[in-house]
Amino acid sequence: MTTLDTGERRRSADARPLITALIDAATVEAIAGEAWIALVGEDEVLVPVPAELPADTLSAWVDVVGPWTGTVVLTTGRQTAADLTRALLGDAAPEMLDHEDVADAFGEIANVVGGNVKAALRGSSALSLPGVGEAPAVRNPDDVCRLEVLWRGQPLVVSVQGALPALPVPHPPHENPHPNGASL
Amino acid sequence: MRALVIDDSRAMRRIVSAALEGFGYETRQAAHGQEALDVLHEGYLPDLCTIDWNMPVMDGLQFVAAVRSNPAWRALTLMMVTSESEQSQIVRALAAGAHEYVIKPFTADALRDKLALLGLLPEEVVL
Amino acid sequence: MTLTTTSFDWVRQLVHRESAIVLAPGKEYLVEARLLPIARSMGLPDVGQLVDSVRSRPSPENTRKIVEALTTNETSWFRDGDPFTALTSTVLPSLLGARGPVDRLQIWSAACSSGQEPYTIAMLLEDAMPNAATRVSITATDLSREMVERTRAGKFSQLEVNRGLPAPMLVRHFTRAGNEWQVSPGLRRMVTASECNLAAPLPRMGPFDVVYLRNVLIYFDLPTKQAILRRVRTLMRPDGWLFLGAAETTLGVDDSWERVVIGRSSAYRPLKGA
Repeated sequence: MTTLDTGERRRSADARPLITALIDAATVEAIAGEAWIALVGEDEVLVPVPAELPADTLSAWVDVVGPWTGTVVLTTGRQTAADLTRALLGDAAPEMLDHEDVADAFGEIANVVGGNVKAALRGSSALSLPGVGEAPAVRNPDDVCRLEVLWRGQPLVVSVQGALPALPVPHPPHENPHPNGASL
Repeated sequence: MRALVIDDSRAMRRIVSAALEGFGYETRQAAHGQEALDVLHEGYLPDLCTIDWNMPVMDGLQFVAAVRSNPAWRALTLMMVTSESEQSQIVRALAAGAHEYVIKPFTADALRDKLALLGLLPEEVVL
Repeated sequence: MTLTTTSFDWVRQLVHRESAIVLAPGKEYLVEARLLPIARSMGLPDVGQLVDSVRSRPSPENTRKIVEALTTNETSWFRDGDPFTALTSTVLPSLLGARGPVDRLQIWSAACSSGQEPYTIAMLLEDAMPNAATRVSITATDLSREMVERTRAGKFSQLEVNRGLPAPMLVRHFTRAGNEWQVSPGLRRMVTASECNLAAPLPRMGPFDVVYLRNVLIYFDLPTKQAILRRVRTLMRPDGWLFLGAAETTLGVDDSWERVVIGRSSAYRPLKGA
């Protein structure tokens, strides 16, 4: 009986894969690195060195709903998020950045990284519009792919983290538009 | 040349507009598909629309379908500019009537290359 | 973590000597980021130790790795598209008319970089000829071993496929593989990649019907340009076609070629009896 139970449990785990079986930190690093070089600046490299985040952080994220369900979260210091916004906007940056400028720019970077993480997974998934604020909690420590980098010497974390329990699939991929307007 | 830049991110609208202006385009912006349709209905007819996929109110694919269903807008060139990059999605967007597809992240050079393919690069720009 | 001034200067001088590319002061972080993977692959903890190691035990292999890591750039598909338009509009019909129905067409992409040029040619021919897979062979060569290996793998990053590759061709000829895109197995079978130094005697290859030798001659002095053109000519069919870069010409370099204008580009054909 015990053997049978283990088998059942393993099969149900197989049905919903953990992120570690779908993507590795090197792939996330390549995706984030390309986003920085293309959008932030061609010399704006991410150096894969772990460092502690400051106390005052800001996160931006997008949800991925498909065969794997979870969230792609970027977290960095609030000041670094503002620097990132200036770098992204370049000459178009306003003299004084307000919160909305930073939320918009950081959210767009999360969208770009998240969209590419999603496409690197197998199968079709839906992507949400970006959220910005305090990072969503890690629900299952086994279902996380975490990348720690330095940008201009400041720490930044990309966390691809599963939802537990899994987020409900709002609609079958590639049929209906997302309730809030995002589609697949 | 005139372009309508459609993206829900203000930062991305600025980035795309700045690149296009660098190639000699005059640009207008819209934050989602419905706002872009309103601009077209106003009578502003650009040569090019750059279109994000995921946007509130009306997404990019719905916008492409709406433009394609109106014969008055047949001359518009539709270029998706989006982080949606699954192969099946690119196929879907092309089938819906998009002419080109630029995957975010992109560089200004990538936009220029695609415009050259579409014959939408003003002649004086040096490749 | 921080690169010493001495180490940075050594890397700057190396890159300038080998590639004529100038690394401005303040680009220490760029050197760190690009060279860290090489250091790690050699089991070294940081870039400073990589530099120390290569300085104390010079090796062409490691020197080349460092230079390539700092100088590699993305190239465009259909880069300067006219020579590709000429291939399908003029060159291919002419060759098909002159050859028997099963004769193989041999094409040489002589500085293939990471593979954009040979695969652009392969895609165009596959779309233009139903039997391209059995009739066409494309030889892709480059000086750099890394570039040859990349060409062989046929894998391209998101940023690379964004550069001038028409979206319909992307979805028809490529498959997404993780965060990269890989050329279809059929196209990869058409392309054979190998290392080749154009400035040295060439291996036995060809004879080629078409040669793409673009943006290579500009890097050499006149005697070397002449020697390269002479050697390339011996590997070409008498009625073959040579494409050079937009800023390059045989005129005033080697008078054994005839210039033919095709649309907005030029091709060069071996002069008979020259």
